[in-house]
Amino acid sequence: MSAGTELDLVELTAGVVLACAVVTLWRRDLRALVAVLALQGVALAALAAVLALHTGDVGLGVVAGVVLLAKGLVIPNLLARVVRRDPGSRETTPLVNVPASLVAAAGLVIVAYLSAGRLTSLFPSPMTRLAPLGLATVLVGFFVLVTRRKAVSQIVGLLLVDNGVALVAFLLTAGVPLLVELGASLDVLLVVVVLQVLATSMRARFGHVDLDQLRELHD
Amino acid sequence: MSEAAYLIGLGAAGAAALLGATLPARRRVLGAALLSSAACVCAFLAAGQVLVSGHAWSAHSAEVLPLTGVSLSLDPLSALFVATTALVGLATSWYTIGYAAHSAPSRTATAMLPAFLGSLLLVPTASSVATFMVAWELMALTSLLLLLNEHRQRDEARDAAQWYAAMTHVGAAAILLGLLLLATHAGGQTFAAIAAHRGQLSVALRSAVFVLTLVGFASKAGAVPLHAWLPRAHPEAPSPVSALMSGAMVNLGIYGIIRVGEDLLGGGALWWWLAVVALGVVSAIFGALHAAASADVKRLLAYSTVDNIGLILVGVGAAGALAVSGERLLAALALLAALFHLVNHALFKGCLFLGAGALQHATGTRDLDQLGGLARRMPVTAALFGIGALSISALPGFNGFASEWLLLESLLHGFADHTDATVVALLIGVAALAITGGLTAAAFVKALGVGFLGQPRTAGAASAREVAPSMLVGMALLAASCIALGIAPGVLLPVLERATASGLAVRPPSPLRAGLGLDLTGASGAIEPALVLAGLLGALVLAWVLVRLPARRSALRHARTAEAWGCGRELQTARMEVTATSFAEPLQRVFVDVLRPDRDLEVTHVAESRFFPQAISYQHRIDDGLERVLYRPVIDAVSAWGRLARRVPNGSVHRYLAFGFVALVLILVVLA
Repeated sequence: MSAGTELDLVELTAGVVLACAVVTLWRRDLRALVAVLALQGVALAALAAVLALHTGDVGLGVVAGVVLLAKGLVIPNLLARVVRRDPGSRETTPLVNVPASLVAAAGLVIVAYLSAGRLTSLFPSPMTRLAPLGLATVLVGFFVLVTRRKAVSQIVGLLLVDNGVALVAFLLTAGVPLLVELGASLDVLLVVVVLQVLATSMRARFGHVDLDQLRELHD
Repeated sequence: MSEAAYLIGLGAAGAAALLGATLPARRRVLGAALLSSAACVCAFLAAGQVLVSGHAWSAHSAEVLPLTGVSLSLDPLSALFVATTALVGLATSWYTIGYAAHSAPSRTATAMLPAFLGSLLLVPTASSVATFMVAWELMALTSLLLLLNEHRQRDEARDAAQWYAAMTHVGAAAILLGLLLLATHAGGQTFAAIAAHRGQLSVALRSAVFVLTLVGFASKAGAVPLHAWLPRAHPEAPSPVSALMSGAMVNLGIYGIIRVGEDLLGGGALWWWLAVVALGVVSAIFGALHAAASADVKRLLAYSTVDNIGLILVGVGAAGALAVSGERLLAALALLAALFHLVNHALFKGCLFLGAGALQHATGTRDLDQLGGLARRMPVTAALFGIGALSISALPGFNGFASEWLLLESLLHGFADHTDATVVALLIGVAALAITGGLTAAAFVKALGVGFLGQPRTAGAASAREVAPSMLVGMALLAASCIALGIAPGVLLPVLERATASGLAVRPPSPLRAGLGLDLTGASGAIEPALVLAGLLGALVLAWVLVRLPARRSALRHARTAEAWGCGRELQTARMEVTATSFAEPLQRVFVDVLRPDRDLEVTHVAESRFFPQAISYQHRIDDGLERVLYRPVIDAVSAWGRLARRVPNGSVHRYLAFGFVALVLILVVLA
């Protein structure tokens, strides 16, 4: 694989990661959200795999496998199970509506590009110039967390943040140590399990999984 | 050798804490007490070796604390504080064995006491900013947990703990800020590196560091106006903890001022030390006044701690001011006197707090108005408490006299200084010393007279029994040290001189001649307390003989005996006796503007005639006036702010997330 193809592939996969993040703002169907998340996980794993092939780093190859397994398969499956419990559930009334969200996302991408200059200037290379994509994914994920009401959307937002962080790490350092990535993946998996349990028990207790209603627990 | 002993001591304190946490209820108190005694003995030996030989050691370990490592060093100044703490700690450890039999302390309390002791031993040896702050916070946290020990029984303990927690954390924050500022600009966080680079620091920076750390250390020492926690926390803590707090913890505030002001910052400006003298004067007078007016024996002792800390601060401030104007000999004398008084205060206040604990233990109350007649029921406790009271009242033959005399001499000789401001400050210091001397004597005549003499006022006092021998042994250790240092203060001089020399930024000549008594080298002034005591005892015997000899032949032979403290009346009842409140009444009248007593007299009359009262109820309370003026507005403002801030978190998860999100985006925008 030539260096040019490799860079193209990295650009493509990183672009897919950010595109998936933006799509989560657009789609309201929770099943679609989970599918987009799975796609994002696969894209992230592909990026890691490309980097691993290029550098010949076995550890990075294992990381790619772990990412594919955790973020491409296990976590989306867990989420899909939650979604299946109440079929047809949609993110009906987000706190910020879809068109406004998309405009905000554009703004966030600009913020990411402006502020990532310091990061990329540390070690300028074609690879690190893509770091703003990861940063933008983090910001969009955070935006999902802030504006979406359903528990599943919240989990998706959190995972977007995590994927964005992983993307920045891959692009800037050309590979996270295996141990760190394993630890982070396990952490995220644990968070998803906890949130799944929370969502289930919320439904059992309140009959819905709308986080906004939790306000009643205050005081 | 000294290093090994010290580290073994720290290890033993840690092991004692572990034992206290793990052993079953019966054994844990004994196990923890024995191990912490061992810790104190080791630390005392280690500090003693440094003090006697004058050879400091330092050690560094990179493993214990991540990033910074732990730096310890024991120089004579640190060693003096370690030795004092170890002595008070040893007495306290024995005392807890008997004390626990009565109060059944929880697992936490048993484990925290050795941990507190260990942190007290650790603070003066810390020789880097990180180590110091860790030890300092450890000390604050363990003492806070100990203070909360009896919160189930008394609401006041919870209130006291809140005050203590707030003030100690504000103080620690100020110290941290000051030391960080210092470490950043001095280019290193070990004390040695800071001291080496202090010449490059600007005056403004050094002054800022001094003021910040002074706020923190003064609040730990309990200097007015940062004293508000002390009269709450010391009475509410279990008595062994009060003894450690008053005998060891407040000292470390003084240690911090000397270490940072003299050792790290190298003396600095005159106004720093005049501010310290001012703090000292206000604390001394304020503390002594409230002590004289208190009827709660532990509250009285707590205020008397404020008073004595004030005197020590006067000495420290005088030393700093004299050193700035180049009077090295007088500076050394003043610091030596302050350190001597600090050691003495630790000994007698430790003894007195343990004695107050024994009173509470035996009678169930610490209100002097409900005690009385305990001298006959608890003779050993009474004698030991009496020795403490005589020492603190600075009577010849007891250690308080020696150090207060030395302090007074150093202030008087300081008038030779050519800076007017210093001379005025010293003059006010002398006046403060004089007035607190009188007020302290009044306070302890009250504590001793009302508490131990006369007739018991309540059933609790009447049924009091002598406390367990282990408690008496703890008190006796401190009382014996008080007498030893009172009769032969000279034996401690070489040790104090080494501590003074390592404390002052400029190396002073020796201010005193070697000997049993105290003999100034630079100026005229000498006293031999042993001879003074012998003279006084001789005069007493002579008076007794002169009264007794003619009495054999005269009408005095038929002299009758009545209750002491009972004005010689025969049908004396407890209701007719002077109480602590009534004893303090004249003083209260004189100082009514400062004390502002809250009095409430209510007379209900018989229905038929308003000339015959049916019942009279008299309530009387003395609040801390400074607290009302200085703290109330701050507390009100903080609670108003808190109420306002509570509107922001309304329970919406999205709002909380939005805070983080907006902050993140803002930071990114600012950084870009």
